[in-house]
Amino acid sequence: MTSIQQRLATGRGKFTPDYPELGTGPVNYEDSISPGFFEAERKAVFERSWLCIGRMERLPRKGSYFTRELPGRLASLVITRDLDDNVYAFHNVCAHRGNKVVWQEHPQEESAGTCRAFSCKYHGWRYGLNGVVNHITNEEEFFDLDKSKLRMPPVHCEVWAGFIFVNLAGGASEATGESSVPVPLRTFLGEGLLGMEAYPFDQMTQHYGFSTQIKGNWKLAVDSVCEWYHPPYVHGRFIDPDVSKAEKMVPPVDSYHYDLFRPHMLTSVPGPPLLPPRAPGTAGEARQDQRWVYKLFRAGLFGPDDVPDIGPLPSFLNRGNIASWGNDQFWVFPNISIQLWARNYYITYTYWPETVDTHIYEIDLYFVPPANAHERLAQEVVVDSTIEFAMQDVNTIEATHSALKTRAQTTFHLSDQELLIRQFHTVIRDTVAAFESGEQKS
Amino acid sequence: MTEHQLPEGFCELEPLVDDWALATRAERYAARLDRPFDDLVEFYDTIAPHAERAIAYLDGLDVDDLPPEALRLMHLLYSMILVSYAVNVFKQNRIPDAGAAFFEMVAEPAV
Repeated sequence: MTSIQQRLATGRGKFTPDYPELGTGPVNYEDSISPGFFEAERKAVFERSWLCIGRMERLPRKGSYFTRELPGRLASLVITRDLDDNVYAFHNVCAHRGNKVVWQEHPQEESAGTCRAFSCKYHGWRYGLNGVVNHITNEEEFFDLDKSKLRMPPVHCEVWAGFIFVNLAGGASEATGESSVPVPLRTFLGEGLLGMEAYPFDQMTQHYGFSTQIKGNWKLAVDSVCEWYHPPYVHGRFIDPDVSKAEKMVPPVDSYHYDLFRPHMLTSVPGPPLLPPRAPGTAGEARQDQRWVYKLFRAGLFGPDDVPDIGPLPSFLNRGNIASWGNDQFWVFPNISIQLWARNYYITYTYWPETVDTHIYEIDLYFVPPANAHERLAQEVVVDSTIEFAMQDVNTIEATHSALKTRAQTTFHLSDQELLIRQFHTVIRDTVAAFESGEQKS
Repeated sequence: MTEHQLPEGFCELEPLVDDWALATRAERYAARLDRPFDDLVEFYDTIAPHAERAIAYLDGLDVDDLPPEALRLMHLLYSMILVSYAVNVFKQNRIPDAGAAFFEMVAEPAV
């Protein structure tokens, strides 16, 4: 072992045997390439799970709203904050003839703003911030309208720790009069995640957002970032161009922490130590060396070296008590990872399936607003490093997806440090199976 | 004599302004991908020896209210960061094996 590996090793042994229900056998990825599974997964998972669609900072004042076009035509939503600070979500569809009510210039593009009411661009029907109709033009020309029941169709919406979640359950069955009420958001999140509320997300308003389409199933993308086996190979050039050296620079397998609390999960990741403080003007002579760039700007992939003060950190962080803690990555079922970094910023990864073969991948980074230029520049280094690494991950997903689709090989193997992949696919498949058996009963 | 586009004391960097003092990350990334690799190396080698002095200069100003000349200097440093991965890590404009992968920027700070 190298000195880095000796310093971080715990001798803990394997994690997977702690979860005997998952087994240790080979797996297959039919769930990531089968069109039939994709259709079932959409109904069982995405049309009835709590889904995070943005932060409260997008609703900065009374009357603020934004729209979301959830990929794969999952839903077209309006999210609002009314004059009493209630947050609502509803489908962006007019009760008159089905026009999209809230949009600007291009109907397919998302929009945002502040208003007191929404006016349909087609015939002028108006809706309040709660989505209920409050004015019908030429109302007397209609027949037997019950205005109290006319509205843009509501969507379950709850806010937790400043994250806005929606749940699409119930919408489709309204025609039959059956309503499907999801478990409350807090119950769904459970003890494994609720402690995150103590984290000062509200201090981190400096936001960078990225989005890309990936030609691969969304679950394969999740798989690619919840194990720590790939870095010396996918990201080797950042660590050491010589792979045999890069392998010795990464933390040992037992220095990470894994915690599964169905349906959610956590991995804690060690990170490099902070660079020592230095006086201005001591970065040394310019070199074509990325370590010099990190030293100059005092930042790297694991964050800035001058860490902003955000008060005492909540005790639920680094619950596995790993050495040289770098971040906690909380996987909130089904499609978002909330990563709290030791250097006081956070990142979310969100995955939105479009088809069995494609998805939209969103990366959002949030920092404490910089107090000066060097803090701002350090954040730029963190953002750019994160995206350079992410772009390396992306193409691997496309390569995996295209190879799996050949079905030339259908049995695959997961090592101990790929425990989260084993869990994630199991939970998705179990959720789909439970939904399908419920459908057969009814 | 043309008017200075950068703060006093940074005249060595004036020739970089037109190509690299770009206001959005999308423009900066496009410049990294579109310009010959030798241009990236030349840009990096020109700005890197002045970067620490530029940071110290900018730290003397209100980062939320930078005058236009200082803002251009800031944008040059953002470009230096984005180009540094190409010059120092990949030795080419694109990330190797990244194919057509590209992230659209959907939200970024005003400055």
